[in-house]
Order: sequence, then C-alpha cells, then structure tokens
Amino acid sequence: MLKRFIRDLKKYLAYSGKAAKAQLKSEVASSYLNWIWWILEPVCFTFIYYLVFGVLFHLKEEYMIAFIVIGVSLWDFFNRMMKNSVRIIRANKSIISKVYLPKYILLVVRLGVNGFKMAITFVIAIAAMIILGVPVTWHVFMAVPVLIVFILFTFGISCLLLHFGVFVADLHNIVDIVLKMVFYVTGVFYSIGRRIPGPAGNWLINANPVAYSINAMRSVLLYGKMPNLLVLLIHFVISLGLCILGIYIIYKNENGYVKSI
Amino acid sequence: MGEIALEVKDLYITYNCMKNYSIKKSLLRLKKVEKNRIEAVKGVSFSLEKGKILGIVGKNGSGKSTMLKSIAGIFAPDSGTVDLHGNTISLMSIGVGFSNELTGRENIALSGMLLGFSAEQIKDKTEEIIRFSELGKFIDMPVRTYSSGMHSKLAFSITAILETDIMLIDEVLSVGDAKFKKKSLNKMKELISDTNRTVVIVSHSMDTLKKLCDTILWINDGEMMMYGSIEDVLPKYEEFMS
Repeated sequence: MLKRFIRDLKKYLAYSGKAAKAQLKSEVASSYLNWIWWILEPVCFTFIYYLVFGVLFHLKEEYMIAFIVIGVSLWDFFNRMMKNSVRIIRANKSIISKVYLPKYILLVVRLGVNGFKMAITFVIAIAAMIILGVPVTWHVFMAVPVLIVFILFTFGISCLLLHFGVFVADLHNIVDIVLKMVFYVTGVFYSIGRRIPGPAGNWLINANPVAYSINAMRSVLLYGKMPNLLVLLIHFVISLGLCILGIYIIYKNENGYVKSI
Repeated sequence: MGEIALEVKDLYITYNCMKNYSIKKSLLRLKKVEKNRIEAVKGVSFSLEKGKILGIVGKNGSGKSTMLKSIAGIFAPDSGTVDLHGNTISLMSIGVGFSNELTGRENIALSGMLLGFSAEQIKDKTEEIIRFSELGKFIDMPVRTYSSGMHSKLAFSITAILETDIMLIDEVLSVGDAKFKKKSLNKMKELISDTNRTVVIVSHSMDTLKKLCDTILWINDGEMMMYGSIEDVLPKYEEFMS
C-alpha cells in the first residue's frame, strides 16, 4: 500500500498543486475585495474574540492579539478541512464520475488551499508579534514539528470523514455540531491551562490534538517554552496511524463511492 | 491472433438502490430499510485484440455505460477482472469538471493532468487543442464566459487530442455548430480507425456501428447475448429489437 501511495502521490502531486492554485484563484475571482478577504477575515475574528473575551469578560492573556491570531489560524485550518472533507466526494462528483483519481488527492488539494490561507494568518501572527515586541527565542524552531503533527492529524481525520461522508448523507450536520463543541473546548480565544487549572485542564489540552497544537504553538512562539515532547510524540504516532488507516480505507472503498452518490 | 489489449473476465456489477444512509432517516424509521440491489452487469467476458474496434449494443438501461465506466476504472466491479495489459485508457466524456473562473488554457492543463498526462505532454499538445477547438482569443478568458457550444468544443478537443491506447466511447460524439460537428465526427473517425488504437464504442446508431466496428457485443439486461462479428450479431439484434 505504501508503494502505491507514494507512486500515486508522485503522479498527482503536480495536479494537486495546480488544482489548489486554481481553486484559490477562482475564489478571489468571484469577489471584488479579492485576496484582501484572506487577511481581513482572520483579523476581524481576532478583534471580535479580543473584544468579547478579552475586554468584556476580562480573559486577558499576555500578548493577547498574537495569542488569538495563532489560535484562529490553526483552528480555521482544522475547521475548514473538516467541513470540506465530509462533502468532498459529492462536491467533486463531476470529476470522479469521469476519471479515476485516488480520492484522497482531493484532500491534498484542500490541504494546499487551506494551508495557504493558514500561511497568511501566520504572517499576520508574525506581524502582531513584532508590533507587540514578543522576544524571539530558539524555541520558535519547534513550531515546525508541532505544525507537521497538526497537519498529519488533520489529514488523517479528513480521510475518515471523506469516507463516511459518502455513505452517511447527513454526516455534515453532525460534524458541524461537533466542531462547534470542540471549538469551545479548544481554547482558541482563552488559555485552557490558566482557566481550567489542574488535571482537567491538562486532559483537555493533551487529549485533544488541536488544543495541544494551538497551546504548543503559543508556547514556542510567544512564551519561549518547550511543549510537552512526549505528548507530541504520542500525537505523532496516533496521527500517523489515522493517516494510514484513512488511506487504507479509501483505497479499499474508493471505487464504490461513485455508485453511492 | 494478435496481441490482446483488453481482457474482461466474468464481470459482475451491482448497484445498491438504497443510495446512502442518513442518520436522521434511521432515527425516524427504526425498522430496517430494505436493500434493493440491481444487477447491472451479469457475467460479461470478452477479450479484444490491439487495434480492433468493439461495438456494444443493447437497449437503454442494459448496463452498457456502467460496463464502460468499470473498464475505465471509475467503478469497482463486484467480481470479475478487467486487464488492460499495461495500456493507458480513457473514457471519452464531455468536460472533466471545468473550473468556471479559470481560463480555457488553464482548464486544459487541469483536465489533462486529471486524465493522467504529464505537464510536458500537455504543454506539447496545448496549441493543437486550442487550434482544434477554434476558440481563438476566448481561450484566455474564464470558462464561465463561454457559450455552451464553446464549452463542449473545448471539452471535445481536450479528450480528442490527448489520446490514449484504449479509448472508450459512449455514443459517437459530435458537438458544436454544423461545421464543427462535421470536423469532430471526422476526428472521431480518425481516432477510431488508427490501427494502433483499441476502441470500445457504445452506440445505438446501426450506421455508425456498421461503418466502424469489427466485432459486436450485445448485452441485454446485463447479460451477454452474443459476441461475434457484425454480420452475425447485428441482424439478430435488429430482429430482437423490432
């Protein structure tokens, strides 16, 4: 299976890149403010969270704006990937009913699209860090492994959602509800560690890879602290397992998808 | 006997009529939903030599298109095998998901890659596709600005110029205005009659079949009725249908 995966990925990587670019391009082509929305959206959400939670509820954190932008950027990526992947087979029916392509390639395309948007929010985060005068430590390099594990995890879950989304027609309703719930316990606009101290808070962070990634990202970028490496390793193994399982399931069933939609 | 290019053995394809499962539905209706299976193709086998042209006939809904899709690798057969002997294959179809906001040129690249061609191969063929499609300056405009005729002209040109070893054709296509119809029909004939290319055509037009095909496969309700030369099969089929 690994051999086939590598061969397919090689074969379709050029297509994925091209298709991701094409999707980004067609997104901007349909609105006047164009690409400015990719910047405005995360900035606006950051300010809303800042006003509501930071100012109204006094949930202040150090470097609050940068703190929220980092949360927003990772969360948006995860959120979009989940919502895209449940419907991705239906959305691409015109393609998959006419040619064969490994179905997870459609997810790779979305990884490209949403990853690009995440990269833009990262630039905003860096700008915020510079303006707020966040001291840079060598810990920032740890952002790379954290990000890799986070993307692997997202991709693994996406593969599973892609598969079940084909057969369970209203799965997207459930995914929306679950995502909303996960959003509030992920600490996008507050620090779980400080608001929910003790073992409960630790659990919330370490058992939820999204919360862990956001938390770890803030530690290394803003506070110059090492994330919990053991947990990172465990998440890496779990994420890799999810990816392998997801790709295995897709390979096994993908040729039946067209018949079901 | 020449080299075999395509071998289909004991192909079975079934559809599940209960299309998919919905959590809402299963909550509202706790009793088990009856599964309604339809057997679209039942045990079809044939082999085709390289360079030969096979016509598939049968009434509507007898599983012809389903079988083509399965040979092209879009559908999984429930049992049986399709062996392409290493040949590349494509199902000629109109418009492999054009992206409306992109220009015709960009869509050529995307569709070509989807059909499994490399970026260089497409680059070499792009000019030919554009010339054949007669779109002129429209090729650098977004596809959403195209008329439906231009849309199908471009789609046809892409599939016709980017050739594969085995071509599966669901009805001989002719698109566009009268002039382009003639041109596309000629192009199809040229593609089909290339001696290196193995072709499978599904058609209802007896004229087309008589003109183009070497052998005929007749399927009825998913079952193989006859497989043989035109002279043997077509008269019996016509008799059956009348």
